[in-house]
Amino acid sequence: MAAVAAAAAPRGSSSKTESYVDTKRRDDVRQANILAARAVADAVRTSLGPKGMDKMIASANGEVIITNDGATILNKMEVLQPAAKMLVDLSRSQDAAAGDGTTTVVVLAGSLLRCSLSLLSAGVHPTAVSDALHRLALRTVDILHGMAIPLELSDRDALIKSAATSLNSKVVSQYSSLLAPLAVDAVLSVVDPAHPDLVDLRDVKIVKKLGGTVDDTELVKGLVFDKKVSHSAGGPSRVENAKIAVIQFQISPPKTDIEQSIVVSDYTQMDRILREERNYILGMVKKIKATGCNVLLIQKSILRDAVTDLSLHYLAKAKILVIKDVERDEIEFVTKTLNCLPIANIEHFREEKLGFANCVEEVSVGDGKIVKITGIKDMGRTTTVLVRGSNQLVLDEAERSLHDALCVVRCLVNKRFLIAGGGAPEIEMSRQLGAWAKELQGMESYCIKEFAEALEVIPYTLAENAGLNPIAIVTELRNRHAQGEINTGINVRKGQITNILEENVVQPLLVSTSAITLATECVRMILKIDDIITVR
Amino acid sequence: MIDGVEGKQPIAYPKTDAPPLQMLKDVAARLLKDEATEEKGDRARMASFIGAMAIADLVKTTLGPKGMDKILQSTGRGRNVTVTNDGATILKSLHIDNPAAKVLVVLDISKVQDDEVGDGTTSVVVLAGELLREAEKLVNQKIHPMTIIAGYRMAAECARNALLLKAKDNKQDPDKFKSDLMKIAMTTLSSKILSQDKEHFAKLAVDAVLRLKGSTNLESIQIIKKAGGSLKDSFLDEGFVLDKKIGIGQPKRIENAKILVANTAMDTDKVKIYGARVRVDSMAKVAEIEGAEKEKMKQKVQKIIAHGINCFVNRQLIYNFPEELFADAGILAIEHADFDGIERLALVTGGEIASTFDNPESVKLGHCKLIEEIMIGEDKLIHFSGVEMGQACTVVLRGASSHVLDEAERSLHDALCVLSQTVNDSRVLLGGGWPEMVMAKEVDELARKTPGKKSHAIEAFSRSLQAIPTIIADNAGLDSAELISQLRAEHHKDTTSAGINIISGGVGDMDKLGVSESFKVKQAVLLSATEAAEMILRVDEIITCAPRKREDRM
Repeated sequence: MAAVAAAAAPRGSSSKTESYVDTKRRDDVRQANILAARAVADAVRTSLGPKGMDKMIASANGEVIITNDGATILNKMEVLQPAAKMLVDLSRSQDAAAGDGTTTVVVLAGSLLRCSLSLLSAGVHPTAVSDALHRLALRTVDILHGMAIPLELSDRDALIKSAATSLNSKVVSQYSSLLAPLAVDAVLSVVDPAHPDLVDLRDVKIVKKLGGTVDDTELVKGLVFDKKVSHSAGGPSRVENAKIAVIQFQISPPKTDIEQSIVVSDYTQMDRILREERNYILGMVKKIKATGCNVLLIQKSILRDAVTDLSLHYLAKAKILVIKDVERDEIEFVTKTLNCLPIANIEHFREEKLGFANCVEEVSVGDGKIVKITGIKDMGRTTTVLVRGSNQLVLDEAERSLHDALCVVRCLVNKRFLIAGGGAPEIEMSRQLGAWAKELQGMESYCIKEFAEALEVIPYTLAENAGLNPIAIVTELRNRHAQGEINTGINVRKGQITNILEENVVQPLLVSTSAITLATECVRMILKIDDIITVR
Repeated sequence: MIDGVEGKQPIAYPKTDAPPLQMLKDVAARLLKDEATEEKGDRARMASFIGAMAIADLVKTTLGPKGMDKILQSTGRGRNVTVTNDGATILKSLHIDNPAAKVLVVLDISKVQDDEVGDGTTSVVVLAGELLREAEKLVNQKIHPMTIIAGYRMAAECARNALLLKAKDNKQDPDKFKSDLMKIAMTTLSSKILSQDKEHFAKLAVDAVLRLKGSTNLESIQIIKKAGGSLKDSFLDEGFVLDKKIGIGQPKRIENAKILVANTAMDTDKVKIYGARVRVDSMAKVAEIEGAEKEKMKQKVQKIIAHGINCFVNRQLIYNFPEELFADAGILAIEHADFDGIERLALVTGGEIASTFDNPESVKLGHCKLIEEIMIGEDKLIHFSGVEMGQACTVVLRGASSHVLDEAERSLHDALCVLSQTVNDSRVLLGGGWPEMVMAKEVDELARKTPGKKSHAIEAFSRSLQAIPTIIADNAGLDSAELISQLRAEHHKDTTSAGINIISGGVGDMDKLGVSESFKVKQAVLLSATEAAEMILRVDEIITCAPRKREDRM
């Protein structure tokens, strides 16, 4: 603060006449902000599009991540400059709002900032630029709505196409034909007919298991636990016509909350205590068995062991399959799926609280084992995706990509419109805005004309990343769009310009609209800042 | 100050034969501790002027609808970034390593402003800064500070009277009053991040404040921030929203709920003596104790159920066991409601927070018509509607990022403060620099009538008042000199409603544009700025105390 005060003080005392205001410092701050934010945007620029490159991120603790997901890259980057941080937040917001297009939004913001900088140096007042951006955002949303194609949820193909577009830009793009329908089915299966607009992605559980290839990824109608069945005592590992209980108590020797100690004075008492312990546990197991339960899911306990070797032994004898260490957070998902109630006390162990399934079995996949529960009776609206991959890096990236694809489908469920991909919307926006700018007057017209060109950064970068000649591509695109072919875009696979709808490259409208509104909001915020103050 | 003077040596003349003058100097040198410094007269005054003006200049650019924002970068852990345009927030977070300790006064004044009326914090600081700038010139012309203060006081009184005369009161006409409130809310919000959706938010704020029915207790307006969506998706909801989850297996919707709000341990009742332990000699007895503990919890739950409730909200954790018992009884139990949450909930549902359950008749239960789970964005929340305290309402703010949300909350808070004050004191003024010009005109008249040096100070006051519209125009990138002279000419007519129209960049009719401000805010700005300026003007010596020594100085 001292520095700020000192810097400001001479200005304060010397400006006796108010006619001339020195704005050098404010301009410097703004310029520094814009440059920093653009540096962030440039860092992720090359990962845009299906032929975008991946980034390898080495974190301080030696962990390595390979990804192409803008949000992930930016999250891992430790930026300190406040304006650059805002760009990181921007990508996070896009992730929250639409789940996809996280790179696009940052690249767009970077391009708009570059353009703003040239406008500012031409002497345009920042608020004028900011207002122009606001009008531009409103207009672009209208333009996008004009291009959008309505969609029915029953149109499974269209949904798959848009999920595939999202997946195509990822490391796992070669598996998009498998993952895209999977994502669509997963989301559609959790849509509640009563609230068709709401999708809670927490109802889709992703279980990662190393081994196999991404090809082996499957959608499981039921539950999957990334755990082994506890059969150290030789219990069953496959149960048909399962009656499943989710318990939140422990099958182990009693433990009180008050500290207690058992005083043993001679060895006969020792025998007795051991016997009592057995009886105690046996009593519990008998009660469980009496209800007909044959699969137990036991919640992890922090207070004491959830099960002991002894109790496992008795449970095995009673032919009860045991899965232990279920996390407390998972209980809600599990009970919802199994359509059962958790049981917190042995006294409340009653049959009506059990869930039913046709088959519970332990399956060995790769080097580990998982437990699958299938054929659940009255299954809740949840679903599980088992993701496989040959190494941890691929597995993690597959999960992230799948998450993006799920988000894409969710966007479509929320807002049932599709739009062409491959840079077509951006070029169309640019064209229509350019025409609109000619109708406007004054500063606004000038700003919008500039920004219209800034939007071309998306097709430009797409082409550049695909190794095509960006200038030739973008100019041709402009030309085609001017002739009214609003759905022409870059076909990266063929390396030429085609009607992108015919190539099945489509994306949800929500992704595009949210990208443009969030990017402009962020740019406006950065433009309006004229000082950075260090505070406690 | 005391710190500095209380030296280790008593202030007594040392018994030496040194000449008296030398002795005096020695004493003066020893009067203050090492490192303590002293600045006097002109130097002190200049230092405090400059300090105060630097602060004013810092926030000056945030003034008005086209004011700029500031990034506040925290030096603490995490290097949190706040983007704001709220003067109070900026001033609160600054560390002022003050050359002139009195700069803090300005800060204090602005804080008072924030608590009392909530808005106009930037204006206070800027006006005080301008008054000091003018005072500096006068001091340089060898006018005594006391004369300046006298002139400022007269001018402030005159300006206030001018405002009083021009203020309008529409309390009698509810429709007009409501439209006044709308205008004020829009004016306040137009300088904030919400400006693009100001109509939406103005309506929201006015509705919320009108629900309060005249009370200024903003506690019953709850603001919940949820990232995602856009600002336009924000909405006002009657009732109360709690950001918590309903226990597993419990009803998700209850009509005519009877709510018990509690703060009690629902894990286990423990003997709270350290080292308490039981000694047993067999496993069965341990099991018995465990059973007894369970039984105790069961009894507690039974007691709670015996209150005849169907919703139980606890501040502490509810363990699985009692949770299941509640589920069996068909009671909706919410665990881990934070402190703020349950206090508000108790307030709005008309219940009391209970912690013992032995006397069901003495516990006051809360009531509401409907409890249900709602979904906002990606999160599920619990909504209590039809609550006892009809004033209660919840504003759910949506926005792209946490920066936007925080700033939106601050802006909305300002608007709510101003509105709730306006409901009590319903006098309104026009905005857009109109009040300043009205005041300036009256003050100018006064200056002409006043004989003596004071008139210089009064004139200076009028110039400072005019600085506010000048800054607003400058911030919007308009030609301020041209605009202000036009405005002044316009105001020379008898009645006018001319102010600066920021949108078109010219002089406009504020009445038609619907730009209004609360009389109370304007008055508070005027008076606190004058007081602050006066206080700083009175300073003629700054004594910086020696810093307290610490062993582990960083």
